[in-house]
Amino acid sequence: MKKEYEFLRNIPGEPGNLIKGLQLLQSTEGYISDDGIRAAAEYFGRPEADVEGVVSFYAQFKRVKPGRYRISVCDGTACHLKGAPLIHEWLHQELGLNPGETADDGVFSLETVACLGCCSLAPVMSVNGKVHGKLDRKTMMKILKEYAAK
Amino acid sequence: MKEIVKLKIGLASCGIAAGGDGVFEALKKAVDIPILQVGCIGHCYAEPLVEACLSDGSSVMYSNVKADEKSIQNILSLGEENRFEIPAARKAKELLKVLALAGKIVPTDLDDYIANGGYEGLKKALSLSPEEVVNEVKLSGLRGRGGGGFPTGMKWSFLAAKPGFDKTVICNADEGDPGAFMDRSLMESVPHQVLEGMLIAAYATGASRLVIYCRAEYPLAIKHLKIAIGQINDAKLNVFGDRSVEITIKEGAGAFVCGEETALIASLEGQRGMPRFRPPFPTDRGYQDKPTMINNVETFGNIPVILREGGSAFAATGSEGGRGTKLFALAGDLQYPGLVEVPMGTTLNEIVFEIGGADRERVKAVQTGGPSGGCIPVELFDTPVDYDSLRSLGAIMGSGGMIVIGNDRCMVETARYFLDFTHRESCGKCTFCRVGTTRMFEILERIVNGNGSEADLDLLEDLGRKIKAGSLCGLGQTAPNPVLATLRFYRNEYLEHVNEHKCRAMQCNALVDVALNKDKCVKCKLCIKTCPVNAISSDFVIDPALCTRCNSCLDVCPQKAITRVAKGEQ
Amino acid sequence: MSINFFLDGKSVTAQPGQTVMDVARANGIDIPGLCGDKRISKTTSCFVCVVKDKTTGKFLPSCSAMPSEGQEIEVTAPDVLEMRKTALNLLLSEHNGDCEAPCTLACPAHAAVEEYVRAAANGDFFNALKIIKERIPMPITVGRVCPRFCEKQCRRNIDGEPVAINEFKRLAADMCYDSYMEELPALSGKKAAIVGGGPAGLAAAYYLRLRGIQPVIFEQMPKSGGMTRYGIPEYRLPKNLLDKEIAHFEKMDIFFSCGKKLGENLSLAELEENFDAVIIAIGCWQASGMRCEGEEFAVPGIDFLRNVIENDCSAPNPGKVLVVGGGNTAMDCLRTSVRLGSPEVTCIYRRSEAEMPAEKIEIAEAKEEGVKFQFLTAPVKLEKRNGKLILTCQKMTLGEPDASGRRKPVPEAGSDFEIEADTVIAAIGQKTSAPAGIPVTRYGTVEVQEDGVTVRNGLYSAGDCVSGAATVVEALASGRRAAMAAARDLLNIPLEEENPINVTRGNWQELSLDEIVVLRNDLSAEPREKLTFIPLAERKTTFKEVCSTMSAGQIAKEGKRCIECSCSDKADCKLRKFSGEAGCRVDAYSGQRQSASYDVRHPAIIQDRGKCIKCGICVKVCKEVVNKSLLSLQKRGFASCIGTAFDQGLPDSCRECGECINACPTGALDWRKKR
Repeated sequence: MKKEYEFLRNIPGEPGNLIKGLQLLQSTEGYISDDGIRAAAEYFGRPEADVEGVVSFYAQFKRVKPGRYRISVCDGTACHLKGAPLIHEWLHQELGLNPGETADDGVFSLETVACLGCCSLAPVMSVNGKVHGKLDRKTMMKILKEYAAK
Repeated sequence: MKEIVKLKIGLASCGIAAGGDGVFEALKKAVDIPILQVGCIGHCYAEPLVEACLSDGSSVMYSNVKADEKSIQNILSLGEENRFEIPAARKAKELLKVLALAGKIVPTDLDDYIANGGYEGLKKALSLSPEEVVNEVKLSGLRGRGGGGFPTGMKWSFLAAKPGFDKTVICNADEGDPGAFMDRSLMESVPHQVLEGMLIAAYATGASRLVIYCRAEYPLAIKHLKIAIGQINDAKLNVFGDRSVEITIKEGAGAFVCGEETALIASLEGQRGMPRFRPPFPTDRGYQDKPTMINNVETFGNIPVILREGGSAFAATGSEGGRGTKLFALAGDLQYPGLVEVPMGTTLNEIVFEIGGADRERVKAVQTGGPSGGCIPVELFDTPVDYDSLRSLGAIMGSGGMIVIGNDRCMVETARYFLDFTHRESCGKCTFCRVGTTRMFEILERIVNGNGSEADLDLLEDLGRKIKAGSLCGLGQTAPNPVLATLRFYRNEYLEHVNEHKCRAMQCNALVDVALNKDKCVKCKLCIKTCPVNAISSDFVIDPALCTRCNSCLDVCPQKAITRVAKGEQ
Repeated sequence: MSINFFLDGKSVTAQPGQTVMDVARANGIDIPGLCGDKRISKTTSCFVCVVKDKTTGKFLPSCSAMPSEGQEIEVTAPDVLEMRKTALNLLLSEHNGDCEAPCTLACPAHAAVEEYVRAAANGDFFNALKIIKERIPMPITVGRVCPRFCEKQCRRNIDGEPVAINEFKRLAADMCYDSYMEELPALSGKKAAIVGGGPAGLAAAYYLRLRGIQPVIFEQMPKSGGMTRYGIPEYRLPKNLLDKEIAHFEKMDIFFSCGKKLGENLSLAELEENFDAVIIAIGCWQASGMRCEGEEFAVPGIDFLRNVIENDCSAPNPGKVLVVGGGNTAMDCLRTSVRLGSPEVTCIYRRSEAEMPAEKIEIAEAKEEGVKFQFLTAPVKLEKRNGKLILTCQKMTLGEPDASGRRKPVPEAGSDFEIEADTVIAAIGQKTSAPAGIPVTRYGTVEVQEDGVTVRNGLYSAGDCVSGAATVVEALASGRRAAMAAARDLLNIPLEEENPINVTRGNWQELSLDEIVVLRNDLSAEPREKLTFIPLAERKTTFKEVCSTMSAGQIAKEGKRCIECSCSDKADCKLRKFSGEAGCRVDAYSGQRQSASYDVRHPAIIQDRGKCIKCGICVKVCKEVVNKSLLSLQKRGFASCIGTAFDQGLPDSCRECGECINACPTGALDWRKKR
């Protein structure tokens, strides 16, 4: 195993711990790289094709490097009713991004998530895990500007 | 003179999202009395919420607290502004049993939990034989709160009947329904209560492994559970005489289908979360091929209550179609969104209007059970909410998500939304679900885009019926429900889309134009400046070909002169 | 301990571990299923094998469901069959491939084009001819005169010219026709009379003989061949070659009786009495008039052509010629007139060139030979003045499209003008004239039942007299169908139904270049091989065949241009087989199909993902049987697919054991080299 993946040894190397290992990989590297898959396959004793199959099944795992700020727009029922599609439209207009994409300058990446569980604050989005609720166009633009300026 | 002896601030996910963490920091700077970070009391619309506990044992609550000086001082001086009282109608209808301690105690403080009656249920259980515990659960009439509604006591007896202790009890905390947050709230606010229920299950069924499978999107819940598990291990609450129980938590990785038992087990084993045919049932062959039982978070949350009260006493609450109370995540078009707990059998009228404060004139329907459920039109709101009544209307109780749908929402678009969700969440294993739900979604897309036909409605019904009958797991078996239910109650809206190319809710973009009323317009040009695609000309004409119907201009117009109108009626 | 339960009411016994499907099969009840393989754990994916538990009303996948004591299972109830059909229809709706290649689907005779092209390209002309003759018993003729429906749908059209498919037939026939002899089965004692010795009658006789029925052909003309002899000019089909082609039919013990015309010296009643079956294939021999004043002064096109042929191409110079009409017969009249020495030959056609029904190549060759075209011109009156013919015409403009989809010509008022000529030929169209006793439609064609060939018990009809004037290959196909119907009725030989399931990636006209799936690795980028024409001067003055047959070398090169669109698994594909049996329709559900992405990086194994049904058998076989785990299910939902690690294709460690290919129920995984 490549040296930079030694951190996987924090988890017992049983085949059943693969997902846990992938979560650790992603939280360390920000995404799942090819080398990460090779390391996980070796360490957890799983064929590489198999690992690729698991990675591609779960929405959490990203195979491309995300932006510095990961915007997750909630498309839960409450948020959808209260305008999640408009949030997407505005974000697309502002950043030129579709869900699943990372901006060329690497600042923002955009994704849709099923539900952040903050339905009473609908519509919401999170940036790097911080939830912003009761969005309208103005507050959303303000939030984007703040992050872009950081 | 009453003094503030301590402050409590609700810092569950919703409280933090509403800005509660900032308020907490501000309070910390301002005073030197204990400030307890508690969970959620369920009144999400009022977040951030601060409770000032007074020297005489009473308390005053403040809602929508801001982190500024004025708000903080208002609290510290017990000012009159932003005082919060639980709405009387809600107080009258609600029955807090499972949520009794939520928002009242510090979630990660074992002593606080125990001081408020925590682990009494486990103590009671350990005084009984395992068979007697299973019997109490059977007597309670508790049915699975995850949506299935299978009698919990019976499930426990299946696992208990397996010899030995090499068994697993799993807590399904993969709350995947978009629009549901009961489980998140319970885990964040009263993690010990969930774990107590699990420990009782381990004792009663003879399991020696407890596994919590929790959504990775719930970091705070995971954090609180991990702390609580550490406390349990330290206090040896997981040791029953000569055997001890191992508690682990595993994070899901984002797949709705993992709410399905066999898919969840596959995921726990590090595989793709794809269900398999049952039998064999997990109680025969489950996690790591050993006998396994899976209950949902809220189900476990009920267990300590049952043990404390006794199964028969618990069963006194509720109705024929379901015993005890039920948690609902109330959201959508209403005044008081939040988490509520009511006895089974409470009517939708009571929940939506009395508790939720929705406007009777503006409500069209309520959606229960998320993507697996259906919608119930306002005319049927005297329906008592329990497993059987809802099923008879083509809806399901589901896990407890309840979305109030206003008159200005399109039911076809709502159905399309749910199928968009389910067809993307299908694991892809079986034909009916993988291809069938995709075809249904495409037909719905066609309809909301004004390209559908009446024959499409029949096609939807026929395909929906077959997908329900021919899918391998619960996801596919319920995926057509939102479509079939809306077709049943709102066929006229579908017909308007296909025959007249009209969306009465003005929601379906393809059937809508944006129009500016020149009589109301004051020519402030805010709309022109705001329009991201320059679709509004200098003489205030909106080009429908350029306009993306993003509503930006509607939002900024001070005169409300811009509206959505039926296509061509600009 | 065994379990007793019921399958469709029949009491059966299951041994421990047996699924419902196992027990059904053991009891002779075949339940279709796509996703099972005895060697691996269950996949429970396709749900084609559903059965119903009568008590609960639930549908169960029989491959995975274990029976319980006393359970009543329905296997063939209508709702079970409907669910099965729906599962298959859904799989078909996402299937992105070609069962048969578009050329074969376009061929009226449904000839196995890809197969004979491959055989001929590999130099096996004998086998190529064998494949051709399974559908086209007159390859010498068709190889020369066919309008090439196949080539029009060839996907090579998308960025160049189609494969020269018809030249393969021509060369294979030219090389091997004499040496090729069918295996003739013993005669059954049944006899069939065929009225008409044109392509339809010849094909009917051919396929009847191959089924052991003795055919006798009754032909009105002195020699058989029908329109191929008396309609098609010598320069397109030399008659010595046609004689050679028809001589072969005689070698097959097919009897010919020429100079026999139905209703004159041949009685339908007697034929029906003396033969077990009668097939009417009398063609369309009556020319349509110009439907204008003086039309009797015009020579009917087919009469003109027949006269030249009957006189061994030595008819008198027709002088200045006008041919009215825009079909292939008009072209034949024009080019024949050129060859007879006419100083000026003009085509009069009422629409524009784009609407002309004649083959583009025929029009082009006519132009090369000096024929003039006067489009948007319609005849109004024909009269004789001073020994000359005067054709009055009017100018037309194109209006709205008519029933045929072509724009309808509308006369321009006051645009009349006259053209002088020595000969006016009316090549407007042909009709059939069926003798009494044969039911006809309002168009004058023979009235047949839904199968397209049966008139009544024992009486069949085929060719132009059913369809109206059409092509040789269509007549051959029709004759074959009539023979099959007769063989079914006389000898109980089941009809060889074409598999009704033909998924297609689409016509090239609606595809983009990157949607063309190329699985062979040696596709030639060369342009289409060119034909060699005789010098123009010789073309204009003699009736010699215009171009020569391609060489074997050319054909070998041309064969490499074939994309080989058809599915390598079309004969074995379980999805196709079960869908056909279940009465599925490929268009039952419309919608997005699977991505057509394919993988040809491995030297021997191709992966054609659009055809995958996601059952995952290959994944499990590679893992559980071969112990390699080189494949995995990836992504989820509609997008799920079978892939390799890092999308790098099958790695070197693949031993090419072929287990995944053998297990694949469709053509999603296969050997690169087609058999």
